[in-house]
Amino acid sequence: MGLIQRQVEARGIPTVSITVARDVTERTKVPRAVFAPWPMGHHFGAPFHREIQLRVLREAFDLVQSAERSGEIRDLPIKWATVRRESKHLSAQGRQL
Amino acid sequence: MSTSYLRQAIADGDDEKIIRFVRLHLGDGSEKVGRREIDKSWVEATKVLVDYEPIDRDAIEKTLALDDATLASLFFQLHFHLIKRTDGWIHEGSR
Amino acid sequence: MTTSEQSVGESRAEAAADPRQTGRQLRPGLWHTINERYPGSMITKDDAVPLARLNKPLAEARVVMVSSCGVHLRTQRPMDVTHPLGYFGFRRVPSSARHDDLIIHQLKFPHDDADLDINVSFPVERLQEMVEAGELGSLSESFYSFIGYNMDPEKFEAEVATPIADAIGREAHADLALLVPA
Repeated sequence: MGLIQRQVEARGIPTVSITVARDVTERTKVPRAVFAPWPMGHHFGAPFHREIQLRVLREAFDLVQSAERSGEIRDLPIKWATVRRESKHLSAQGRQL
Repeated sequence: MSTSYLRQAIADGDDEKIIRFVRLHLGDGSEKVGRREIDKSWVEATKVLVDYEPIDRDAIEKTLALDDATLASLFFQLHFHLIKRTDGWIHEGSR
Repeated sequence: MTTSEQSVGESRAEAAADPRQTGRQLRPGLWHTINERYPGSMITKDDAVPLARLNKPLAEARVVMVSSCGVHLRTQRPMDVTHPLGYFGFRRVPSSARHDDLIIHQLKFPHDDADLDINVSFPVERLQEMVEAGELGSLSESFYSFIGYNMDPEKFEAEVATPIADAIGREAHADLALLVPA
């Protein structure tokens, strides 16, 4: 994925990626990334938790506007336990059960 | 193991490296799990055959006439196919 | 909750920026682990790519998304997930697709939560909502999807990475690209 990101940026289109593996992202030197300390397969949090999904997207788009140097990684200060706790009772409608 | 690493192992006749790669692939990154997975698909194939259900031998003959790449790919697909029908499916996060 | 940790609803302005206080990577040393198991499959780059700049407000920007989670339309042929060296192709997924139109066909990462809500891995519906709300300008007609597991960085670059980047440059008319691994 890092290869694609680098190639797209090199074509003049600003890019941002989401990562749960900060070490992998650091080594591929992608232009911008948001790091979420969450499990694989959960880059946008938990099912039906619309707020957290939107939050990750907004962080990413904000980073595209604000990053000043290539390779900037923004750490998302939300622990997995918090995501899990907040999403425990969410239904398909995104409401608390 | 990258493709070049595998090609080197093949050139060296290093079957241990090759089978380690296969175990890692079938075990989603765990050699131990991969070993068990290989056993599982053979167990499932044997269980299916024990009842002497009729077999479409024409289909098998036609299939075996296909090219080696298709057959080798089919071999990997059959491995997953046989396990997927069981309760022992560990992939896709259901482990 | 520690002082540095936010609940989801708090604004970013309140976020503590100290990464030492944020959550740690749940699987530390992933690069070394993968590289030990599959030598040569992981890439390392020494040079940074010069930043391209977003030349319009977000509310006017067109966004394209690329995912390695292996998502595709239920009507499309699944990608080959059993090949030991990986699958070197990709799919176009309409940006108008909804959860029920899509399926993740992959073996190498847990997608049981994404099966319940595709937006966990591929936030297509959230992006649609952000356009409706006027936060984003629009979405490219297609998004791009491929399988993250592959054992040949050179073949991957030639047959997946470059063709997707070319396709984005040629047909997506995007001002901004969001890349989401799995």
